[in-house]
Amino acid sequence: MGNDLIRKAMDDLGKNFSKGKPLEKFHPLYEAIDGFLFTSGTLARKAPFIRDAWDLKRVMVIVVLALIPATLFGIFNAGYQAQNALGLAHAWPDAVLRGLQIVLPVIFVSYAVGGFWEVLFACVRKHEINEGFFVTGLLFALTLPPHIPLWQVAAGISFGVVVGKEIFGGTGMNIVNPALAGRAFLFFAYPAQMSGEAVWYGVDGLTRATPLATMASVPAGTTGVAALQQAGYTWSQLFYGFIPGSIGETSKLACLIGLAFLLITGVASWRIIVGCVAGLVSVASLIAFLHVKTVHPVLPFEWHLVMGGFAFGAIFMATDPVSASATTLGRWIYGFLIGALVVFIRTFNPAYPEAVMLSILLMNIFAPMIDHYVVEAHINRRTPRAQAK
Amino acid sequence: MPTVRILKGRNIPLKGRASAELKALPLPSECIFPFHDFAPRQFRLLIKEGDRVLVGSPIAEDREHPGLVLVSPVSGTVKLVNRGDKRALLSITFSADGQQAPVQHQKFSPESLSGLSREAVIEQLLKGGVWPFLRQRPFSRTADPMNTPKSIFVRAMNTDPLAPDLDVVLNGVEREFQAGLDVLKRLTPGHVYLCFDARAQAKALTGAVNVQPVAFSGPHPAGNVGTHIHHCDPVGKGDVVWFIEAQDVARAGRLFLDGVFDPSKVVAVTGEGVASRHHVRTLLGAPLAHILGEKKNDTLRYISGSVLSGRDAGYDGAVGLYDAQVTVIPAGGTRKLFGWLMPMFKDYSFSRTVASALTPQRDVSLDTAVHGGLRAVVVNDLYDELNAIDVMTYFLIKAIYGHQIEEMIRLGILECAPEDFALATFACPSKIDVGGIIQRGLDMIEKEG
Repeated sequence: MGNDLIRKAMDDLGKNFSKGKPLEKFHPLYEAIDGFLFTSGTLARKAPFIRDAWDLKRVMVIVVLALIPATLFGIFNAGYQAQNALGLAHAWPDAVLRGLQIVLPVIFVSYAVGGFWEVLFACVRKHEINEGFFVTGLLFALTLPPHIPLWQVAAGISFGVVVGKEIFGGTGMNIVNPALAGRAFLFFAYPAQMSGEAVWYGVDGLTRATPLATMASVPAGTTGVAALQQAGYTWSQLFYGFIPGSIGETSKLACLIGLAFLLITGVASWRIIVGCVAGLVSVASLIAFLHVKTVHPVLPFEWHLVMGGFAFGAIFMATDPVSASATTLGRWIYGFLIGALVVFIRTFNPAYPEAVMLSILLMNIFAPMIDHYVVEAHINRRTPRAQAK
Repeated sequence: MPTVRILKGRNIPLKGRASAELKALPLPSECIFPFHDFAPRQFRLLIKEGDRVLVGSPIAEDREHPGLVLVSPVSGTVKLVNRGDKRALLSITFSADGQQAPVQHQKFSPESLSGLSREAVIEQLLKGGVWPFLRQRPFSRTADPMNTPKSIFVRAMNTDPLAPDLDVVLNGVEREFQAGLDVLKRLTPGHVYLCFDARAQAKALTGAVNVQPVAFSGPHPAGNVGTHIHHCDPVGKGDVVWFIEAQDVARAGRLFLDGVFDPSKVVAVTGEGVASRHHVRTLLGAPLAHILGEKKNDTLRYISGSVLSGRDAGYDGAVGLYDAQVTVIPAGGTRKLFGWLMPMFKDYSFSRTVASALTPQRDVSLDTAVHGGLRAVVVNDLYDELNAIDVMTYFLIKAIYGHQIEEMIRLGILECAPEDFALATFACPSKIDVGGIIQRGLDMIEKEG
């Protein structure tokens, strides 16, 4: 009964948005709300007459659900680190409360400002609002340091949505991952706060070097692992995520729970993720094995896996099917090169410790080229077959 | 005998399979001859309303190929010529007189068939009205009598949901079927490929001679003619192959052995919307109402063919000439509150994003709901998992959108027909009509040479 009442209310409301009515311009907005409340009533008029129960909304909901463990841990950890830094109690209820105060505004601003752009473009272009934004909005927020000024959140998500996606034609047409584009914009526009070298605790002037920044200033004669341990970082701390860092990326465990969900539901490409890990492990091992002269100390691959945003990036960013390679072989190559680049940048690049974001963005740009060669190889393979007499 | 194992694709365990029982239906009082199966060919009418016809009387002639005629499936009178926009022929309705008196053509003994000339075979097939049952790839349309195909494919299997059982369909027509195969052999310098299910029992298939038998196993689209051609003798630029349904091979055989056009057709009555589900022997163009024997119900969808590749015939329509199946499913369309958030225990999906994926799915009930709005392609690695033809669907779609004809051909569009992408369309979460896009690409190529 409740269904029918709401349905009727929506139908009555919808009349105001139909052609020739005052709110016609905002029809995509009505459509989005209507689609948010109710399943589609469209029927197939030609073959195939039956369709799969899932739709893009379902896909995006699955990704958002996969991000929930990282989000929850991010909220807790943001509060925990802040309480810790201030010397306050860090029993978990206090930490969660404080975390909510810190993180919720960031997520809210990301969704609100990004959502505004989405609706605006949908209304102007007269197409339906794409659910991809449910993921972009949260993904972007989770890549940010918890104490980022909210105006920077707004600026970043605006850049990500508008320049990263909409100017290319919207979801499905974008070349780079919009959330990462927004993150990269902030990284280069406000390097002082975003370099990834230090993390704010929400207290003026109080910072602590991140594990990645620690690696950038290791005294001579010390190994990388020893330097990290001197700075107070253990492997398990990095794995479980009780360290300062961006909201969603500190806990590799939370990311892995999300990964499990993505793989069980089949939403993420396992090839890309395996490719990323394989690339990282092989290049890290190769550098260690060959004793290459590097800028930064060499770390064993198991440390690389839990450092920085690698897990978060490989699981949630690199697997975005729109900006990744679209061919099976291409996905292996694309993933492998992301993993490889992460180690190269971390080990040889003196300027940016934040390697994952740049590796994925770079490979986003190269993905169409990888696909081009894979497709050409496919055509060459099939040509003699199809023309054999 | 070679067996081709198809690994890609999926069977949809739809509810409403027909039993193996074969019922002979009484003659219908009316028959409807539909023309949409022959698009884009254009026909000139040879009869007018009120004319008397026999079984096999020519009723329309191809405008481009005089001599390529369509023939009447009943004896009786022409009741109605149904035209649409720009006077396009939609269908002809015949009143049957119950006599089924046939037009007589020349008869041949089974032994003499292998000695016939190609020209003699073509002439008899054209005159007898069986020619239109031969179709060609590329472009999936009625074969051109001026062409010589590099091979001919007999499609003696069907893996569509609730498809007719070929063992039932071909039971008792062994002699005609073999004669039909012998005749087809005269039409091509290459092989006649007899493609059937690896589990097939029908004697017509297991005992067939003078052909290249190929058994196929695996999920749908293992039974699609596009799959058969791709794995046996793929078509490239400039190639033509012909294909024909197994029932129509028997029809061709009958034309040569007995000298008459055989208008009978075995149709599987399927789908959860119909109560008695079985195979029936009836006439080409038999009205759905006659075949179903049930009252019209506006909440149902009446499909000639399968849910994947059929056509919405409507209760008042007829079975398509190439279809051997009627599927009746609920139309559906109820909108559910917060459907996308629900676990979905009852909704069928290929993906594992719904709770129903946790249990094995049998006899699933599906209506015509699309379950979502049209979006840009996001899940782009899905299509090729469901296609037994080795093409890169996502890139083919891109080439079609970009009007890149040369690129489309290089990517293999000439091997494709919309039905080969039915599963991709079914499964696409962005609700993209992949088959429709492929058709657009094929139309572009035809138009621009």
